[in-house]
This record gives sequence, structure tokens and C-alpha cells, in this order.
Amino acid sequence: MAIAGFGAIVLSLLGYIYWSTTSYVASRTDRVIAAEQSLLQAAYDRGGRGALVAAIKARIAERAVDGGLYLLADQNFKPIAGNLADWPRDLSSGNFDAPGTGRRSSYRVLVRTLPDQWRLLVGQSTEDLESFTRAIDAALAFTLLLIAMLAGVVSILVTRRTVGRIESINATSRAIMERGLAARIRLRGVNDEWDELAKNLNSMLDRIEALMREVREVTDNVAHDLRTPLARIRGRLEKASGTPRKAESDQKLVDDTIGDLDGVLRIFSSLMRISQIESAARTEGFAIVDLATIARDVVELFDAAAEQKPITLSVAGDPCVVVTGDRDLLFDAVANLVDNAIKYGKKNGMVTVTVRALEHEALIAVADDGPGIPSDEFAHIFRRFYRLERSRCTAGNGLGLSLVAAVAHLHRARIDLKDNQPGLAFRLLIPSGNTTPEDRA
Amino acid sequence: MTENRRRILIVEDDRETAEQLVEFAEANGYEADLALNGEEGFERGRSPDYAVMVIDRMLPSIDGITIIRRLREIGIVTPTLIISALGEVDDKVRGLRAGGDDYLVKPFAFAELLARVDALARRSTAVVKDMVLRVGDLTLDLVSRSVTRAGREIELLPREFQVLEYLVRNEGHVVPRAMLLQHVWDLHFDPTTNIIDVYVGRVRRKVDSSRDYPLIHTVRGVGFCVRAPS
Repeated sequence: MAIAGFGAIVLSLLGYIYWSTTSYVASRTDRVIAAEQSLLQAAYDRGGRGALVAAIKARIAERAVDGGLYLLADQNFKPIAGNLADWPRDLSSGNFDAPGTGRRSSYRVLVRTLPDQWRLLVGQSTEDLESFTRAIDAALAFTLLLIAMLAGVVSILVTRRTVGRIESINATSRAIMERGLAARIRLRGVNDEWDELAKNLNSMLDRIEALMREVREVTDNVAHDLRTPLARIRGRLEKASGTPRKAESDQKLVDDTIGDLDGVLRIFSSLMRISQIESAARTEGFAIVDLATIARDVVELFDAAAEQKPITLSVAGDPCVVVTGDRDLLFDAVANLVDNAIKYGKKNGMVTVTVRALEHEALIAVADDGPGIPSDEFAHIFRRFYRLERSRCTAGNGLGLSLVAAVAHLHRARIDLKDNQPGLAFRLLIPSGNTTPEDRA
Repeated sequence: MTENRRRILIVEDDRETAEQLVEFAEANGYEADLALNGEEGFERGRSPDYAVMVIDRMLPSIDGITIIRRLREIGIVTPTLIISALGEVDDKVRGLRAGGDDYLVKPFAFAELLARVDALARRSTAVVKDMVLRVGDLTLDLVSRSVTRAGREIELLPREFQVLEYLVRNEGHVVPRAMLLQHVWDLHFDPTTNIIDVYVGRVRRKVDSSRDYPLIHTVRGVGFCVRAPS
């Protein structure tokens, strides 16, 4: 397709060059004839026939080798002066005996009838034009040949390269199908579209690999976190089945079992909630929400929990910061951050929720002044079920921050972690012109 | 608070669950009819006698949501509680709360089911515009937003007042945590933390500590209940 288009363009370009040069040369010939004609006409006007004949002779002498053709004939076409022996029989063919050589040649001619019925013929040989046209023909043919050869070579090279790159992608695909996700497409390092494609495919593979690793970790963790309470329940029931019934201990057994099952169900619903948010199916719930109001509501809700610790919980920043989002989810995310901050903050410490309208984004940050976490753990804490070793004994299922990350992702927000010196600051940066992913696509 | 025996319709295809539901409803003052499939549920649901319908989301042949839609089309507006195994993930089910109906995620505590059925059954009748609410020796003045117990004033934050007001309005009934969160905070998710318990705990300390008897009771695994000793 592209080659046909290229060929058509080249051909029409060459055609145009041919047409414009030949028509230029032809019109130049016509201008020469017209100039000669008007020169002779001027001589005739000045001095009549005598002057005209003299002028013709002078022009012939002057342009001996230029291929100029002059003939003055009377009303009976009898030649009077000029370098043509006879008045040509067939003027339209343009083929006359060349003056002085007897050789026939092509001419363009102009005939004018003078006021006394004499006729003046002025012509110009087109031999120059023809040889020029031939030269152009040859040049164009050569060019065409050269271009065709060049195009052939280039297309062979491109095809070979394309096939080579496709083959390397194919080979990688086969390797992945046979031996797993480790293989990557080799880059040429030339930064062309093929490298771009290979880079994108490679980063897609990286992402898939990371997700699969995460799923595996989550599965392991789910297995662990669910097995523990289930094993407890099983053990308890097994022990109970071997002992006689006693109202008091039976009640405790039943209550503990229900409590453990509730824990298991909570993990399930958290996981489902996160995967639902991650599938980004909830953007239809987006509306204009005020982050400051959310922050105040969260702080108010957690006021009692903070009091218990005790921790001073407060809101700071701008009084109204509007974004487009899902109020429930944003509330849940901020609530999770505040919950963590209170849980891991130090006694008699401070937890501050800050809301601020920045230039292109809205900031909501939750900061505590507790022990914080080592900065090399920053990258891991948003993973599902991730819990620092030292927090394994605290209540919670390690899903809170995954939920925060999922909510942030849904809102196209950035999350970052900062050492609050002392303590930890979680910052959520939501784009101000936040729209739903469908709107952006 | 005494309730007349009210009829409810239970549409549930799992026989064991269905029988547990009927038993539990009848033990708590309801007369329960059972439909074991969608068609039967729809046929029975056409009767205007039911105070509440409890319908499973996933039924063979006709889906729970479809039953509700078809009943609404023929003008049956019986408040409905949908039981769903998908819950929050299911947007259609989520939409129910906006429409005045309710949903519950499987598996659930029977006490929570009862609380929600009670709430739906009450909805049609008891909308009394009281200016003052009373339980035992507790008085809530809805105009001055003040609370007294045995004549002594109790200082409550505005939100704490709303929590207490909602619990007192549902006196004698269990209010599940999620319902409290929904009505007082306008949040439509079930928190995984114990934050509501902590919040209600503080209200309870203000209202109940060093008094003759407690009014705010925790119902394990479900929520809260305001009740004066009889």
C-alpha cells in the first residue's frame, strides 16, 4: 500500500518535472519567434518593404547557426527574401528543409500577412528543444531507475529488520509460554518504534510478574491468616467433642467460635472490597466532595478512639478543598490512615490530618509523631497483608493500606510516605481536575 | 415496646437456611411464610399482607432483584431485605439502600437480620414527630438538643447526640453498627475496625457511668440497643 503510494507520488513528480521543463522550453521558442517577428514588423513599419528585406538579411547573417527561419513572399507565395527556398506547402507539419543544409528539420513557425498581402514567415528550429527533451527523458528515466532500486533495497532491509524484530518478539513469547514469565524481549538500543514496543511489552511483563508474585504472596497470607483462626476453631471443637457438655464452657466455646468466624469473614469482605475497588468499577459513584469535611468527619469519628490512647487528634489546613471522588471510599481510606496513626502513634502524641489545595492537586495528609517505620520498608507497606514484624501482635489484618492504595489508584491519586521526624506522614495527592477514567480515555 | 404479630415472607432456596430463618423469625414475634424458589416467591409476594419480605439475591430461575422489580411494577411496595453473598461488590444490591430497601451480606448474624427486618417493618408506621424522647430516666430534648438523666444534664457533642437519638428512637431494637454508620454519618460501608464501638463506648460512659442502671447495651457481633430495665 505504502509502496504503491510512494511509487505514484514519484511518478507524478517526475511527470510534472517533464511537463514543466518541456513546456518552458517550448514557450521560450515561441517568445524568440515573437521577438523576431516584432523586430521585422518594426523595420517594415519604419521603411516599408526595402527596410524589411534588409532587416531579414541582417537577422539571417546575425543568427546563422541559431536555426532561425525567415521568408518573405509576395501575394502569390513567391519568395522575395529569406533563407527558405520555397514557401512551404504544408505549414502545419512544421518540417522544412534546413537552410543551407538540405536536411529536413522541425520548426515552429509564425506567419503574418502584411497590409499589401505579402506574407512574412518567421520560424525557429525545435532541434534544441528536442535534444533538451531527450536529455530530460534520459535523466528522468535514470532517476526513476535509481529510485526504484533504492526503494527495493530499503524495503528489503526494512522487511528483514521488521521480520527480525517480530521474530525476536515471537521467540520471547514462545519462551514465556514454555518456561514462564522470566524472559524479556531484547532491545536494540536504537530507540526506534520497535524498541519502544519491546520496552512496553517488557514493562507489561514486569507488571504481570509483579501482580502474579503479589497474588501468590496474598494467597500464602490469606492461607495463613485464615488458617490460623480456622485451626483454632477446629481444635476447640475437637477438644469439646471429646469432653462432656458443660453449660458455662460451652457458651464460651460458642462465643469464641463465632468471634473467630467473624474475623475470617471480615478478611473475606476486605479482600472483596479491595478487589472491587481495584477493578475500578466504582467511578459511577463519583461526585464533588469536600476533603476538609471528610477530614473533619473522620477526626470526629476517631475522636473517642484517640482519647482512649490518649492521642491528640486534630484537623489542619484549608477549610474547603473540593475534588471529584467517592465520599465513602475517601472516607474509608482516610479513616484507615487515621486508624493506623492512632494504633502505631505514641501515647500522649499527636495525630494531625491536614487538607490543602495545591496548584494542581488536593492534598490530604495524616501525620503522627510515633516511632514511624524504617524508610526501606516504605515500598512494601501497601502490599496486601503486609505487616511489620513488630506489628504482628497488634489487631488488624494488614489490608488497611492496600485499601488506601486501591482507593488512591481509583482516584488517580499519588500516595507518598514521609518521615515526619519523628513519626510518619502519609500524603494523598488527588489531581484537582479529577475525572473518571472513562472521561480521560 | 410490643409488636403485633406481623407476617413476613422469606424467599430462600437453601432449605436449611430457610428453616433457620423461619424459626428465628417466629421466635421473635413474626409469622413467617416461606417460598423455596423465585416463582413461588413472586406469586406469594403479590399479596399486600406482608410487612417485610426477605429475599435471597441468587435464586434458581428468577433472580431476587428481578422479583423485586416485577413486584414494584405491579404496585407492590412491601419493604424488602435482600440477602446477598456478594454484598458491597454487587452494585445492584448497593442501590437498594438508596431505594429505601435494605441488604445484608451472607453469612450474617440472625440478630442483625432481625434488627434490619424490624427497622423495615417499623418504617411504614412509627414516624412520630416527638419533641422529647424518653427512656427510663433519660430525656432527650430534640429542640434544645439537651440530654438529662435523672434530672442532671449530660454534655454531648452534636454527633454523640445524633448517635444517642438514633438509638433511643429505636428503643428496644438492636441497631447494627452499619445502620448507625449509615444514619448518623451517612456512610455506606461496614467498617472493619472497632471504631463505632469505641465511639458508642464514649457516649455510654457519658450516659451510663455512675447511674442506677445502664441504658445502652452492646449486642455482641451486631450492634447496640437502648433498653430500660422493665
